Amino acid sequence: MNTVENFEIFAPKLINKRELFSAGHRACQGCGEVLALRLIMKALGEDTVVSNATGCMEIISTAYPHTAWEVPYIHVAFENAAAVGSGVEAGLKALRRKGKIADRYVKSVAIAGDGGTVDIGFQALSGAMERGHDMTFFCLDNEAYMNTGIQRSSATPFMAATTTSPAGKTIKGQRTGKKNVPEIMVAHNIPYVATACPSYPLDLMNKVEKARKIKGPAYIHVFSVCPTGWRAASNETIKLGRMAVETGSFPLYEVENGKYRLTMDYTDKRRPMQDYLKLQGRFRHLDPADIAKVQALVDKEFRKLMHKVNTSVPWD
Amino acid sequence: MVNISINGQKIRAKEGANVLQEAKDLRIDIPTLCYHNDLTTFGACRLCTVEVKTDGAWKLAASCQTEVAEGMEVLTDSDKVKESRKLAAALLYYKYPGTQAIRDVAEKLGVEVVPTETDSRDCILCGLCTRTCHEIVRADALKFQDRGLGRSLEEPKIEFISPACIGCGSCAYVCSTGFVRMEAVDGKRMIWDKVFKMAVCNNCGRYFAPVEQLEFISRTTGVPVSNLMTCVSCR
Repeated sequence: MNTVENFEIFAPKLINKRELFSAGHRACQGCGEVLALRLIMKALGEDTVVSNATGCMEIISTAYPHTAWEVPYIHVAFENAAAVGSGVEAGLKALRRKGKIADRYVKSVAIAGDGGTVDIGFQALSGAMERGHDMTFFCLDNEAYMNTGIQRSSATPFMAATTTSPAGKTIKGQRTGKKNVPEIMVAHNIPYVATACPSYPLDLMNKVEKARKIKGPAYIHVFSVCPTGWRAASNETIKLGRMAVETGSFPLYEVENGKYRLTMDYTDKRRPMQDYLKLQGRFRHLDPADIAKVQALVDKEFRKLMHKVNTSVPWD
Repeated sequence: MVNISINGQKIRAKEGANVLQEAKDLRIDIPTLCYHNDLTTFGACRLCTVEVKTDGAWKLAASCQTEVAEGMEVLTDSDKVKESRKLAAALLYYKYPGTQAIRDVAEKLGVEVVPTETDSRDCILCGLCTRTCHEIVRADALKFQDRGLGRSLEEPKIEFISPACIGCGSCAYVCSTGFVRMEAVDGKRMIWDKVFKMAVCNNCGRYFAPVEQLEFISRTTGVPVSNLMTCVSCR
């Protein structure tokens, strides 16, 4: 008898069975990003308008004349997903006021990859959050420009090799650490910021539901494993996501009105970065001294986060 | 397939489907507190009331409990419907004024809601947890007290059958008001005032599920407990 088949916890049986991001798209094998998107759409429900920046998720889901989307969907340029999302929200408000559409709550959602969020779309995102629109922004972070051939972005982690930050004798891949965008979003004083990973599906969906309920701007940073770009085995997507969380290199937390809360229990001894790095070809060039440097950076960021978790208080 | 019309829109509905689901598929907003797609319908909250015309007469009915029938006409937005929903919401609000989920619905349906500091998270007897426990988990640890003829005048509430509970937490997941609370502290899970010891994963050493739940799964599937002692991350 197959143990895995029989072992089911019960709550997942109550999750919405309807797929709003349907099968038949063109994502790579083992894509963590598309898995995240599917769970996000399940949690958001039907009353949603999606504005999606150029990137993997747009390319794989909307090859003309097909679409994988079962909700209203706008493909926008690389830089303005957040701007269009805020425009959709304002437009819906105006149409509702004039009585042209039924009076029900429709959420405007903007989705972009890490390039469309942390580099190219950054000013539009900052503007939309600052204006306080009732919208949610999702960053699907696969840590480089994967769709155009693995170029580095400012979300690429320290010492990762990409085609534009290749590993050589002197410079070993990416020279800087990951830009901490959730932190920048907290600095915009928005009511809800969270990090999530599809390896923890119920946690991800709970955070999305929470963001949907909030009548104001919310930002969710979703860690999306990319086996193609990370030179990893496609059957290890979920494992890699879990490892990133367990090592503390991508801790799961949420910030509600300025109050930090870890949504994953960390014991004093986190899993060492070595376990996570050795599964990925983009870190293949690292020697033990380099791994120690990466570990030190992760420890530093984690310490910073723990300080905020322990000391932060809600704004009001 | 049967032909019905909702707000004048003619659709072909599947036989045996309920009006609420058909309306939801048309993206018509109908408030509910006790409905869940994967559970049998219950008709406790009466917020999903619609006007239905069968055999020439209009009447009010809970849409979740109304099965579609050939030639049925449905109105989801008439004045009568609005009035009935507002009444149902007002009655719920007067009974549980401190519960946020009720306050939200009542405000949306036009009941005057007074601001309050309390967050009481009351049980509204929607039956989501009892149905989940019976239909999804099949542990039958939650039941309504005092059923049938023997029902006393005492306030009805949910009966918790302690030995049957496996601590899976599905009731806390499905609860719409936050009445069912689940807490986890150092390898123990507390739910319904019962403390569950969490099993430790053989591989990574993290706590992952209550021991009772693993024993229950072992009992119902015939897999020895020793085979279940690995968490989802390590399997």
